[in-house]
Amino acid sequence: MPILEYIGTVARSSTTSDVFNAIAEAHRREILDALIAGEKAVGAIVNDLSMSQPQVSKHLRVLSEVGLVRCRAEGRRRLYRLEPAHLRPLHDWLAKYEQAWNDRLDRMDDYLKDLQQQGEP
Amino acid sequence: MTPNRHGSAVVELPNDRDILITREFEAPIALVFDVLTKPAHVSKWFFDRELKECSIDLRVGGNYHFVGVMDDGTEMSFRGTYLEVEPPTRTVQTWLFEGWPDADAVESVDLHEAHGVTKMTSKLTFSDKAGRDRMIKSGFEGIQESYDRTEDLLRSLFDSKGTVSG
Repeated sequence: MPILEYIGTVARSSTTSDVFNAIAEAHRREILDALIAGEKAVGAIVNDLSMSQPQVSKHLRVLSEVGLVRCRAEGRRRLYRLEPAHLRPLHDWLAKYEQAWNDRLDRMDDYLKDLQQQGEP
Repeated sequence: MTPNRHGSAVVELPNDRDILITREFEAPIALVFDVLTKPAHVSKWFFDRELKECSIDLRVGGNYHFVGVMDDGTEMSFRGTYLEVEPPTRTVQTWLFEGWPDADAVESVDLHEAHGVTKMTSKLTFSDKAGRDRMIKSGFEGIQESYDRTEDLLRSLFDSKGTVSG
């Protein structure tokens, strides 16, 4: 599932709009996509995507800074997982966007009803 | 009695470039097409009050321009050029909202009628000379830079019912 689609299903507590910047980068969205299925080690992310380990680590650092992923150590491995709560600003934006479209199209719907009641297309 | 379809528009992001909006209307396809493409109709529903300007030259290569005025006098302007015109089922047009100069798009509107209900599928495909990824990036940067402004714009532009608090 692409991350943008996933955002539409997420709703929890809030955070910063830096999230917009963090997911503006295509590679970072790929990393988030890779983590939707569950927690993964850096090596596994590198294997999944055609990116170098330093590249992946750099992007993971940015994603950690805005709270989109959380890291824990297990032995020598560092495991990353998605923190969906921090996608909230995007979710909110989408919800407002959807509401805005609904308002407009509800107006159009009402207008169509009026026209049909008047019987003048 | 026909069902109330208010709030039934669905907004989806099927991929990195598109915004897909679907909505059904209890009306024949020819009427829906007219309401979407005739200035006398569009100016009645596009904005939360009657448009100040609404011109539509409905032919391939023809331009449209919608201007709405907000409470504070700010003008909101949408414009574009028709690329395809196939009444009553389809139009394709360029789309530029002057509040989002980085987010020009191509909008395709498809209509399909079944059992007296017309389904509208509107797809906005955002584009950029430098290509798809750069466009998505600039789109999101644009959203971030003008996040509050965007909220205000959306509220002012579309929301006449006060559903967004504050």
